[in-house]
Amino acid sequence: MFHPKKPSTMNSHERPMCVQGDSGLVLTTDPKPRLRWTVELHERFVDAVTQLGGPDKATPKTIMRVMGVKGLTLYHLKSHLQKFRLGKQPHKEFNDHSLKDASSLELQRNNASSSGMMGRSMNEMQMEVNRRLHEQLEVQRHLQLRIEAQGKYMQTILEKACQTLAGENMASGNYKGMGNHHQSVPEISGMKEFGPLMNFPSLQDLNIYGGDHLELQQSIDRSSIDAFLPNNDTFLMGKKRPNPYNNSNGKGPLIWSDDLRLQELGTAASSLGSQDDPFKADHQIQIAPLSADHRGNDIDSVSDIYETKPILSGEAMADKKFDAASKLERPSPRRAAFSNERMNTVISAGGMPQGRSSPFG
Amino acid sequence: MAMVMDLDFSGYSYSTTTTITTSTEGDQGCNWNDWSPVVDWEALSGDQEDFHYLIDSMMDENVVLHQPVRSIHEGYNRLSPDTMMTDEESNSTEDSKGLRLIHLLMAAAEALTGANKCRELARVILVRLKELVSPLDGTNMERLAAYFAEALEGLLDGAGGGGGGKKLLGGGKEEHHHQTDVLAAFQLLQDMSPYVKFGHFTANQAIIEAVAHDRRVHIVDYDIMEGIQWASLMQALVSRKDGPPTPHLRITALSRSGSGRRSFCTVQETGRRLTAFAASIGQPFSFHQCRLDADETFKPSSLKLVRGEALVINCMLHLPHFSYRASDSIASFLTGSKTLNPRLITLVEEEMGPTGETGFMGRFMDSLHHYSAVYDSLEAGFPMQGRARTLVERVFLGPRISGSLARIYRARGEGDVCSWGTWLAMVGCRPINISFANHCQAKLLLGLYDDGYRVEELSNNKLVLGWKSRRLLSASIWSSQDSDL
Repeated sequence: MFHPKKPSTMNSHERPMCVQGDSGLVLTTDPKPRLRWTVELHERFVDAVTQLGGPDKATPKTIMRVMGVKGLTLYHLKSHLQKFRLGKQPHKEFNDHSLKDASSLELQRNNASSSGMMGRSMNEMQMEVNRRLHEQLEVQRHLQLRIEAQGKYMQTILEKACQTLAGENMASGNYKGMGNHHQSVPEISGMKEFGPLMNFPSLQDLNIYGGDHLELQQSIDRSSIDAFLPNNDTFLMGKKRPNPYNNSNGKGPLIWSDDLRLQELGTAASSLGSQDDPFKADHQIQIAPLSADHRGNDIDSVSDIYETKPILSGEAMADKKFDAASKLERPSPRRAAFSNERMNTVISAGGMPQGRSSPFG
Repeated sequence: MAMVMDLDFSGYSYSTTTTITTSTEGDQGCNWNDWSPVVDWEALSGDQEDFHYLIDSMMDENVVLHQPVRSIHEGYNRLSPDTMMTDEESNSTEDSKGLRLIHLLMAAAEALTGANKCRELARVILVRLKELVSPLDGTNMERLAAYFAEALEGLLDGAGGGGGGKKLLGGGKEEHHHQTDVLAAFQLLQDMSPYVKFGHFTANQAIIEAVAHDRRVHIVDYDIMEGIQWASLMQALVSRKDGPPTPHLRITALSRSGSGRRSFCTVQETGRRLTAFAASIGQPFSFHQCRLDADETFKPSSLKLVRGEALVINCMLHLPHFSYRASDSIASFLTGSKTLNPRLITLVEEEMGPTGETGFMGRFMDSLHHYSAVYDSLEAGFPMQGRARTLVERVFLGPRISGSLARIYRARGEGDVCSWGTWLAMVGCRPINISFANHCQAKLLLGLYDDGYRVEELSNNKLVLGWKSRRLLSASIWSSQDSDL
């Protein structure tokens, strides 16, 4: 039952490698007896792991208990489990899992004494790990592209919606009671305190609302979300949760996601391209700077809108007018006068990427 | 209140909720105590008297919670009267209000469906509830309670679906939402949480893998929404390296009679957009519609099929359905499409608690828990953007809650409400494994959002998105029995 898996690994000059112990375990006969993970044993291992809920949930101890194989030690299981988790590969590729330290690698394969084989086995594992990493990078890259594609697509929808609304507004003269097939007035156009996302003509009204209306902010980061700022933050008391964009610096391996966001920003921004000019100067798209400390109840923190990542700069944007760096340096406490101040300090000219072609265009 | 005395609240014990922890799938059980600081579920298994007292006290806010109640809240340290007036006052009043709301909701639900049904009582409780809350402001719990109250009221009125007339929400039906509101809410939802993208990307990755060697792909989409899922699929198809170059993609979207986002016109518009997008990236593409009758049953014969194409059925169910016939519609769609022997069936649906819960109350509480987690997840990522969240709640979550409750309500007494995934397995579909790449992609995607999100792989063919310890959404991959991959 326990036959060596790969006859090819048996060189002619090799002595018989395996003996079957009493417990049914196959041990090699080289100087340091190593456990051979045969098909059968591996299958039992896999069964046990599945029973326990998968390789991530199973532990060597529980596996050992479930398998109930005499002579099987925790060490055996630890290393085998680790490899299993890494690759979920059939054990063909990892013949001998009784690695305890680097030196044991030498004896890993059937032809333990052959240094050529040692190199190969290490390489195989190395290759496996590399393969996984490579695959992960691929996935990451693809994910980024896909998110961008969706962002680009959303942009076309938003643009269309803008135009439709703009058309409707022109036609009816005011944006209440639109007599088209919609049965209700869009909440967005009806609610003046919302910064316009789709309803650009209402920008005109923004002038009316002074410093108290934080919602006037438009973040380049989201054409819509930033507009929805609470009038009061009382319902957020005590609930300061880490904001994903707050700790962007901590997300080392995902730095790419910042670029990603930039691309998204790009799409969002260009979706606002159909605005009227005069208002752009005043109500510019701002990159809401990230203030590291998230203030729950203050007006100033509201300006953080999306708490966009600091890297959120104009770099990836085709429009380089945004000076995110200066944003970051802006002192956090911004009091009520912010909105006016903001209008002015707004990303300077940066504003509306007017007529800017889509970064994907 | 004489009426209160007649109800028997001790009939069901809340301790059943703790059995959720013994899920066969591992350690993902819901620990009720982790769910929200507002509620200590284990303390809720009080006896009848306490409940009556509670109901009384809830009805009259001026009543101070005295001794008898304290025993219920033992494990709930914030609520003991002497801490009421400390610095934590704001928290504790908030929590105690939250607790009140939950009690009221439970009482209403129980009055609606319990052993001693009393619709009038239910209505009275709901009226009171609605006085206390608003869907537009307040804490998460308050807004959630508002929607649940709305939903329960809808059940009371016998609407059975998402539309209950104009109450708190000013119009339950989706059609009442202005198109831009829906769009804005959709964009917001996508940005604030991975719900939308998770389902789309997982399904897309599975599709890409399944059609790796095909020249023609045909996707039948149950609810195309804005078509955004296909933008990224097209991008992936265009840039694929192995197998035949960019396959021809054909999408058939289902549309229904009536107005709203699934109407013929809206879907047609989506089709135009997709066509334009496909052209812009060089993806060969064609778009078709398949109209459903008024009763929303799907007839496979109304699909146009082409020989040699890989058929994929895409069923995204995590966005709200407004028709109370949704259940039958989905069933007919899945059954019908299975007869076509599709290469792949991708299913994304909300993941409710373990189906061990029977009875309306159990599932009601589970639903409450579920949406509470959703609200929490949105708030965690974007605590400042209250308006944004309110909009999303109004457009998507509120109707979803109504739909869920309607489904639970209709199924009460019938045993399990099983998930569509289970249903697919029962009708003989073969599960398809989630690849490493797919799982990896999901993890990476979640990394872009708040840390509280997690993804787990279940049953080999399912990826589940969860918030903290609560499962929210599941994406599963199937194939019809006879097709060979």
